[in-house]
Amino acid sequence: MRLKNLLYTLPLLFLLASCDMEQDVSVNLPPHESQLVVECYLEPGEPLRAVVLESVSYFNDPQLPVVPDAEVYLTHNGKTVKLPFSPFQDKHNGKYYTHRISERLKAAPGDVFTLEVKDRKGRRVTGSTTIQDIVPIEAVEWKFNEKEKAYLLTSFQDDPEAENYYRYMTHQDSVNHGSERDFVASDALTNGKRVSYGSGYDYEKGDTLIVSLYHIEKQYYDFLGSVSDAKSANGNPFAQPSRIVSSVEGGIGIFTNLAYTRKMVILE
Amino acid sequence: MRVPAFLLFLLPLLFLLFPDAMAQNGYTVSGYVRAAESDEPLVGATVAVPDLRLGTVTNENGFYSLLLPNGNHTLQATYIGYEPTTLTFTINGGNKVIPIRMAPASSQLQEVVIEANTLQQKLNNNQMSVELLTTKEAKLLPALFGEVDLLKTLQLKPGVQSGGEGASGLYVRGGGPDQNLVLLDNAVVYNASHLFGFFSVFNPDAVESVELYKGGFPAQFGGRLSSVVDVKMNQGNNERIRATGGLGLIASRLTLDGPIVKDKSSFVLSGRRTYFDIFTRQLNRLQEDKKDYSPIPDYYFYDLNGKVNYKLGEKDELFLSGYYGRDFFGFTDADFKFGFDWGNRVGSLRWQHRFNPRFQVNTTLSSSSYQYNINNKIDVFSFNLTSDIQDISLKTDFGLVLDKGHNLQFGAMTTRHSFTIGRLNFDSDDDRLTFNAGSAYDATEAAAYVADDWQVNSRLSLNYGLRFSGFNSSGKTYTALEPRASAKYSITENTALKASYASMMQYIHLVANSGASLPTDIWYPSNDYVKPQRSQQVAAGVSHLFAGGRYLLTNEVYYKWMHRQIDFRDGANLFVNDNLEEEFLFGKGESYGNELYLEKIKGRTTGWIGYTLSWTFRQFDGINQGRRFPTRYDRRHDLSVVLLHKLSERINLTGAFVYGTGNAYSLPVARFAFQDVNGKNATVVPVYSDRNSFRLAAFHRLDLGLVLKLKPRNGEADLTFNAYNAYNRRNPYFVYFEQVKDESGETTRFQAKQVSLFPVVPSVTYNFKF
Repeated sequence: MRLKNLLYTLPLLFLLASCDMEQDVSVNLPPHESQLVVECYLEPGEPLRAVVLESVSYFNDPQLPVVPDAEVYLTHNGKTVKLPFSPFQDKHNGKYYTHRISERLKAAPGDVFTLEVKDRKGRRVTGSTTIQDIVPIEAVEWKFNEKEKAYLLTSFQDDPEAENYYRYMTHQDSVNHGSERDFVASDALTNGKRVSYGSGYDYEKGDTLIVSLYHIEKQYYDFLGSVSDAKSANGNPFAQPSRIVSSVEGGIGIFTNLAYTRKMVILE
Repeated sequence: MRVPAFLLFLLPLLFLLFPDAMAQNGYTVSGYVRAAESDEPLVGATVAVPDLRLGTVTNENGFYSLLLPNGNHTLQATYIGYEPTTLTFTINGGNKVIPIRMAPASSQLQEVVIEANTLQQKLNNNQMSVELLTTKEAKLLPALFGEVDLLKTLQLKPGVQSGGEGASGLYVRGGGPDQNLVLLDNAVVYNASHLFGFFSVFNPDAVESVELYKGGFPAQFGGRLSSVVDVKMNQGNNERIRATGGLGLIASRLTLDGPIVKDKSSFVLSGRRTYFDIFTRQLNRLQEDKKDYSPIPDYYFYDLNGKVNYKLGEKDELFLSGYYGRDFFGFTDADFKFGFDWGNRVGSLRWQHRFNPRFQVNTTLSSSSYQYNINNKIDVFSFNLTSDIQDISLKTDFGLVLDKGHNLQFGAMTTRHSFTIGRLNFDSDDDRLTFNAGSAYDATEAAAYVADDWQVNSRLSLNYGLRFSGFNSSGKTYTALEPRASAKYSITENTALKASYASMMQYIHLVANSGASLPTDIWYPSNDYVKPQRSQQVAAGVSHLFAGGRYLLTNEVYYKWMHRQIDFRDGANLFVNDNLEEEFLFGKGESYGNELYLEKIKGRTTGWIGYTLSWTFRQFDGINQGRRFPTRYDRRHDLSVVLLHKLSERINLTGAFVYGTGNAYSLPVARFAFQDVNGKNATVVPVYSDRNSFRLAAFHRLDLGLVLKLKPRNGEADLTFNAYNAYNRRNPYFVYFEQVKDESGETTRFQAKQVSLFPVVPSVTYNFKF
């Protein structure tokens, strides 16, 4: 959280930056038993793809720990599809996959899919996802101040009948690189309301912005929150360590589906 | 309501005891102990009759009372910074009032040179597990940035640990800083720290002394599990208007005190403010034109303390005390305005009435509040978040000296709490956007107690009492009996055994899940779902006076059980959450250890050595897979060595060395790559395993100080030089794992980094008094 970072920098204000208050230390970690790490997002109309890796001890060499003997199965309505090991990098967006088939997903909101991943070491990971419906973006607005900087405001209507979770992202120019704004939210404080997500005065005239609103499952919301907490716990003395809340059982990772609306605007 | 009804029932019962109790064999000797130069009452002065091995400590009004048989007696009074005073008198069939006026020790150094019979009194004191610290002592010791801080000085005592480098929070016998009952002139202080715990709210010029109870709690105290920090403010002197103050590296202080109506009424008014915001503003102005310069936000805090006392007559006196403090942190530019302020407001009015020399009552009406406020405005959008707790309290405490060595204390209290939790407003000027969150609760806390301090014979004394407490909130009522007992047995004139048992309840809980004391930590009442916390502690000790009474060696062992402890689930949202109770986890804790304490308070070289060996654990179903884990501040070894040496009449040297086992800490044991939906650059996600299973490197530090007395034309002055962390040790504040990348942005390896907070910090403070 930004506030915490602010709090943390404050005492350091007293200090001269040249004081060299950081030093390398060695830490002996206990032996780590690797777990399967799965990342699989289903998206209607897109090919079936997954990434299966494993967790490694923190100070291992930075190589991608692939698991060639892992087998990936997707099941829907009693029909199971196997995704063979076939490492591949999508040149279009730079995304990397370890298991895939070219068959495209046919699914409607409410459909349930299950995932099973197993390898020869006897590790087995399972998960389940229910296809979400999309939530339309009603408006993307912006306003310039006297310094010719604009803020952005994205509005949509929350469904009062359901407990909803959202992921909001904005990209500049293209979605094929990191987002410049990315957060998850629940409707706990905004149930049934017209909700607006804003920004600071971050944009200039002529900027091309792509706004995405994902209607996500609770398990995805929990997973993303725990990933973000775990990352910020490493390096923040005020944070409590956070366990990864996986949507899969038997390992680490996320199996979910992507239902989103996207709008592109050019700030004029 | 059930609880007050019980009180009404209990009080008359107590009064029924009186007629019989009033029959007496001995006679009362009583009076006030006052400073000769200012007429201020001396709180905590020891008054003893060494021949009878009887003694007492003056109460918060400087009043003492002893029960003595007929005959000739020698009375000795001692107090830190004052010449010991001896008086002889005869009792011949009647009570006696003997006022005692003590002359100040002739030089500043002698303020810490006190006669050995103070150690004798400490040996003879029935109360165990207690530490007394006066501002006069604390001011001689080295301090970070030269800012004297009584709470930080208390961390040098055995059984009391600091939360981390520079932090003022107290971790007493395995308890958290939220389990300390912090009192300022009888009123509760909720968040006793400024600047995220780096400074306590107690301006040393406004405070006379602080007493810390670690165990064996007297029955008059309750409401927190682990300690009582009883802070007493200065009472103005009765002779003339006087100014005291200091100019320091980061803050300045000024205190005025003196008589209002001679011999009837006096006042003290004290203020302190930091001024690094003045420097940071200048720095910002200088850098204004630089393109990528991000300005340093404003930060300052200030404290105001005031106290007035008024003698209504021979038997009645009124005391009005107040504290107001605020921290402010803010940032403003053309489009963006951010303000964050927090602080305490504490006030108390105490009426002291003496029915007769053996029977007195103190009645205190107090109020206390803590609030934080975050305001954020970006153009037309505004965001406001507030939490607070507000109390109104009434308590009355009776003290009655009976015959056969009985000394009875009894009383009752009630507090009305109001909690506002995470009140959030989000608005835009055009009303297009608006939402609110937050909740409010009221609660009533009440208690009644009775305790008897009984000098059974010249060797054995007992203190036993019972506190009945209750709490009501949201239609749910909790009540509990909290028995307290302690005993002292003198084996020889120089050796005493002590033991105690105390049961404590805590009905309000601090919602905080970080290691530091953040201003956003809020208090939450017990209700249907969140049950009160409870602890039980047993302690036993031996005290031995040796080398002709120059050294006192004390050893105490303790074991503490803590029930219904509170923590929060991983990833809990404690900031804005209307269903906060869903984030609570409940568990238990235990702490045990041994505290060794050697002190010397006579001679040119004085000081103490404290060593604590301890273990502290917590166990929660939802944390660490239900397995017990050490708390962050589980400290196996904790050593403090404090030395004061008088080099000459004008120069005082001081040194403090601390050593502690490194904090227990959680580190990731593994990592995985997470690609996310965006693709391209996968990020590294740490995987944590058992809670607090690592240890930071041991903490050790030497602080040095030199107090040089100046000879100004008027009054007194000194220059205090300090070197905090004199040998420039890099003590670990936290450890994290870094991803080391090469020039092309490829990760080459992972490296553990340790961050430290303070290098050697030299400082100089100018103090004056005229």
